Amino acid sequence: MEYVKITFPTNRLVYIDGEQNGCTNEVLRVDAGSHIFELGNLENYRPSSRKVLVQDTTVLEPLEIAFYRKDA
Amino acid sequence: MRAVIVARLALAGCALLLAACASFTPGNPPLAKYAPDTGYRFERLDQGDNSDELFVIVSFSGGGTRAAALAYGVLEALRDTVIAWRGRKVALLDEVDVISSISGGSFPAAYYALRGGKIFDEFQDRFLYRRVQSDLIGQVLSPANWLKLAAPAYGRSDLAAEFYDREVFGGGTYADVIARNRRPFVVLNATDMTTGTQFAFIQDQFDLMCSDLAGVPLARAAASSSAFPGGLTALTFRNYAGSCGYRQPPWVQLAADDHASRANRSRTARAENRLSLAAEGPARPYIHLTDGGVADNIGLRGPLDAISSTNHPWSVLRMMNNRKIDKLVVIVVNAATSPATDRDQAASVPGLIDTLATAATVPLDNYTADTLDLLTATVNQFNEEARLVEGCRKISARQGPQCALDIPAPHKVELYPVQVAFEYIASAEERSWFKNLPTTFELPRETVDRLRIVGRRLLAQDPKFRELMKALDGCLPANGQAC
Repeated sequence: MEYVKITFPTNRLVYIDGEQNGCTNEVLRVDAGSHIFELGNLENYRPSSRKVLVQDTTVLEPLEIAFYRKDA
Repeated sequence: MRAVIVARLALAGCALLLAACASFTPGNPPLAKYAPDTGYRFERLDQGDNSDELFVIVSFSGGGTRAAALAYGVLEALRDTVIAWRGRKVALLDEVDVISSISGGSFPAAYYALRGGKIFDEFQDRFLYRRVQSDLIGQVLSPANWLKLAAPAYGRSDLAAEFYDREVFGGGTYADVIARNRRPFVVLNATDMTTGTQFAFIQDQFDLMCSDLAGVPLARAAASSSAFPGGLTALTFRNYAGSCGYRQPPWVQLAADDHASRANRSRTARAENRLSLAAEGPARPYIHLTDGGVADNIGLRGPLDAISSTNHPWSVLRMMNNRKIDKLVVIVVNAATSPATDRDQAASVPGLIDTLATAATVPLDNYTADTLDLLTATVNQFNEEARLVEGCRKISARQGPQCALDIPAPHKVELYPVQVAFEYIASAEERSWFKNLPTTFELPRETVDRLRIVGRRLLAQDPKFRELMKALDGCLPANGQAC
């Protein structure tokens, strides 16, 4: 089991490999390997998606994957 | 007289030649167009009053009528178990979300998917008390079936499937299960002979072959799941891959691309298996399915993948991320035996049949032990993560309120792994009796009834089940008694 935390200034739905999986700024469980992270169809964030290889995380040190507001 | 015999033999020869030339009639229709919003899929089933917060998975192992009766006894017990949930009293059976089954266990599973609560009025006479094995042998020995059996694309399991369709499932297909539109999501499992991987009878699997599961008889799924190698033949399914505009989910290519990095071997293997089955051409126009027990004899691998992966057709982990599940119950009904042998009482070299039977069954039993260990490891992982976060919070808080850390943690889920298996019978004599029951499709009525009763008792005695009953203010009455 691996752990990720998708950061964004507000609370948004998180999509992992195209499927809705929890929310931003929460610790989420995911299986090891490459995944694509997105924040859904509201395109006011950047980057539009991030492909990340998730491995060697712990529940205390989840991999942080950052998204930003487009206008920031 | 001799001329008559010669004429009859010639006629039989011609019939055999005709049978050999007979074309293959697939038992699975093509899918006109890939439609992810239709078909037999977990997320398509109406939940009714079945909540996600209490998520219950049940697995039924293989083991012929022994497994079917034990599974049926557990279903009866779950029906009679009353819990307090969301302010009302409900039967635990009505909270079961998924049933995953193998071989003999696939018969009650499929029947429950088709008929729901009517199983308790019909299944005993339709299957459990029947001399199914004798009936099947009678079918094979009947000259009326020899012509069919002579065809290369028709085997004894096809004959068995026709028998089950007529005598057990009354012609029911997955279209009928879809029309019922009720949880639990019932997953019958067979084994793909070429890849050695589990083959689940769900639309997500049939999408890969551009085939419509709705047109598949439940009898054919049960026959595939229980095609015990040797006694029964594999069943052939047509692969129409490439004809319906199917698109793999995004994770498949990502996982396949991870092959070199070895980041997650099992996820990559699952992806590569999907790509192999869906390869256009199709690369494998026919798929041969044998007993589900060859890949996993307790039907637990699918649920374990669902619990530990977000990339699964009915991912439980995804539901946990979405904070839908608070309590996860996994009930493993395992009818495994370990028959006594006098092999070690003599110096003589074990015979060929004994050796082959050992080679065929021991790896399955060892793999089952590994699968149960994996369930324990998975449960431990969830519990350990919760303990780690809680421990760190306590340590930091001891330094003073200003040092208290607000450590973010994943959604907490309570896990209840429950095991119903003969090895947990306390009395050595009784345990030995159950562990020496044969694997066959007919058992005496008294044996079937003993299996039903022991299934109920083992469920009630399981420590985690008792813990669950306490947490849910629940009660499983002993036979004929009130709570």
